Amino acid sequence: MNKMLTVQITLLVLIAGALGGMLLYTDVYDDIKSTIVDITCFSCIKMDPVTRIDFTFKTVDNQNHPGFILENLLEGPVFLAFREDVCGGCDKMEPIIQKIFNTYFEKEDFVYETINYSGTPVVFYHISLDHASDEMIEPFFVYDKDQRSGVPMFVMITLGDNKGQIQPYYATAYSTLGLEKNSKREALMREIIKQGIEYYNQNQEGYNYTV
Amino acid sequence: MKLQIKRWIAQIIFLISANLGALGLKTGFCYPFFYCHSCPAAASACPLRAIEIGVFRGNWNWRFIFYPVLIIGFVGVIFGRAVCGWACPIGLLQRVTGVVPRYLKKKFPSIKKLGKSKIDRYLRYIKYFVFIGLVVGTTIWIGFMFTDLCPVGFLVGTIPISILHPGEYVPNEFFYVALAVFILFLVLIFTVERGWCRYFCPVGAMLAPFNKISLVHISVDKSKCVNCNICSDICPMGIDVPNMNRDPECILCGKCVESCPENLIKLEKRYKT
Repeated sequence: MNKMLTVQITLLVLIAGALGGMLLYTDVYDDIKSTIVDITCFSCIKMDPVTRIDFTFKTVDNQNHPGFILENLLEGPVFLAFREDVCGGCDKMEPIIQKIFNTYFEKEDFVYETINYSGTPVVFYHISLDHASDEMIEPFFVYDKDQRSGVPMFVMITLGDNKGQIQPYYATAYSTLGLEKNSKREALMREIIKQGIEYYNQNQEGYNYTV
Repeated sequence: MKLQIKRWIAQIIFLISANLGALGLKTGFCYPFFYCHSCPAAASACPLRAIEIGVFRGNWNWRFIFYPVLIIGFVGVIFGRAVCGWACPIGLLQRVTGVVPRYLKKKFPSIKKLGKSKIDRYLRYIKYFVFIGLVVGTTIWIGFMFTDLCPVGFLVGTIPISILHPGEYVPNEFFYVALAVFILFLVLIFTVERGWCRYFCPVGAMLAPFNKISLVHISVDKSKCVNCNICSDICPMGIDVPNMNRDPECILCGKCVESCPENLIKLEKRYKT
């Protein structure tokens, strides 16, 4: 066996071993799938989804609302902010969200707190898809209304009157909301929250959920 | 079966495989070639994006760096840059568009000089700078740059998504720069045969060194060469084939193998002295 063939076979064995080891003993396969393949990369497509204030009762594929959301709705409207560790749009939107809710957190932090928003309690969640539990990530797929599958994604869940029944009613906003200026992004986000609170106040009394 | 027909079949199979996401097959692999996960039909991840995430702003995530490098290394040790010639969908695109520069070369001698000029050999180093500078360097110190401007993402992501979801997306701040880059990309591949592979492809830059040690490679029996230069003229990468000696630019397309009138060029499947 000549030298070159020895080098080739040795390299091949080393690389195959390292790659096999990574696939067997780390979560890299699942991480690549969930972080890159399953998520729409807005920076890769050089476009942001248009955000409209468009509340709806219909979840993706008619999935059930997660139990913890239904429970939190007894207390107030729920705001969910989803992000990933490496996400340019998330980094742009995070200071706006922190300013609106007058709170502070790091990008990998899981935040669950009830925040007094202009006199109304709003249940605030900050969820990192890279670090949160499956239970907390589930709403990302339930409330991806326009099925953009991208981050950042923000969901305002409130209550609405669906033909006489009070049910969860939500609006979803994506990325930098399709707006260039931070002032406009903040104004639109505040408008979504304001409408959510109004709907909640109108329908709160008719909401029944037993834990 | 002729080598070039086998290559058409391989390229079409890999194009379909890369887009099996359209049937719901989404995997956690990285492509060993240049293709973008933002394509609505993509089945795997772009290796460059994985590396970018791995080095983003100095937050080293070694798994995201090693994983695509090992996948490309594994394929590279066996096939070298044959991946570019036989598997890459963007290589297939350039195979199709390559008829234009080939035609132009016959009509306009000045075009012919584009791929044969003295600076051509230096221009080929740009792809290494693109990889080290734009994919890795700027991502460490500034943030994403390459994927924001990538013409392949524009071709297989931006355009299909704009068609599938009209009016539902608006351009971000990089859109128009990326559009300009995309137009330049089109001009390049329609004027220089395999212009993207030659000068700019960062995945090609990662695969190129493996040509020196790959099991599959092109060998030339130079001692019997009659210097007809047919092989060099037909080479889509503009290589001086008789003197190439495992050239990092060779995509192992096999055109020289089929064109050699003396049958001196071989597609070897293992190392031979």
